[in-house]
Amino acid sequence: MIVRLSKRYAFPASHRLHSPALTAEENRATYGKCNNPLGHGHNYEVELTVRGPVDAVTGRVVDLAALDALAEKEILAPFRYRNLNEEVPLFQSIVPTTENLGRELDRRLRAAWAKAFTGDSPVLEKVRIWETERNICEITEGQ
Amino acid sequence: MLISKKVEFSASHVCRSPQLTDAENERVYGQAANPLGHGHNYVVEVAIEGEPDPVTGMILDLKRLKEILEDRVLEVYDHRMLNREVEPFGRVVPTVENIAIDIWNRIDPHIGGRARLHSIRVHETGELSVEYRGGR
Repeated sequence: MIVRLSKRYAFPASHRLHSPALTAEENRATYGKCNNPLGHGHNYEVELTVRGPVDAVTGRVVDLAALDALAEKEILAPFRYRNLNEEVPLFQSIVPTTENLGRELDRRLRAAWAKAFTGDSPVLEKVRIWETERNICEITEGQ
Repeated sequence: MLISKKVEFSASHVCRSPQLTDAENERVYGQAANPLGHGHNYVVEVAIEGEPDPVTGMILDLKRLKEILEDRVLEVYDHRMLNREVEPFGRVVPTVENIAIDIWNRIDPHIGGRARLHSIRVHETGELSVEYRGGR
């Protein structure tokens, strides 16, 4: 009786897309308005999809309070109202694109997962991140 | 190929298990454990799998799917108190997980021909949804 459950969260943050490996002109051509030197921000939304059997007593796939606590600690509190380039050490060396941010959220969740959820389930199947309503990045387990 | 159809219903429920203590119920279900109940506008997406018929270009007759959803889901669930008016929620906690499984069980026997039920996705709020693929 495997069910997939998805929970959505949100945090606002600012960033600037600029690679030191590219010229000023190449940066403008690659990132467009996102290369604005003073930065800009988004209301990021993150959806976590977990997979597992439904517990016979609780009727739940996942302890939602534990999932919310894990999300708050690992992927919301560290980024909420932050300047990603200036305040998140990783993004001093790599560009804070939605792809790189999504990969970092996925990495943080997987690193803390076994401590939050002991046993074989639930499994973190997918992390989706919306930079805007039209710009979405998806990271699937094992891909 | 997948084709999906969306319907909505409004219902109330209480998420409490008789096998848990009051404190455990409140920890597991949070505010949803309120014994007097609360409600949601549920959105159900039903995905059907199959290849289009070479003559009609359809996997299944969408009018027929609409009838199945109206008769087997909306008629049963819409504007109901799930714990007291919809089986099996007298004995199974009406979490969104169990609602998705129950909706699958209600409509799967009625999907036939070249079409196969692929998944039931139920959105309880804008933040919480589940997908059931028949246990796969």
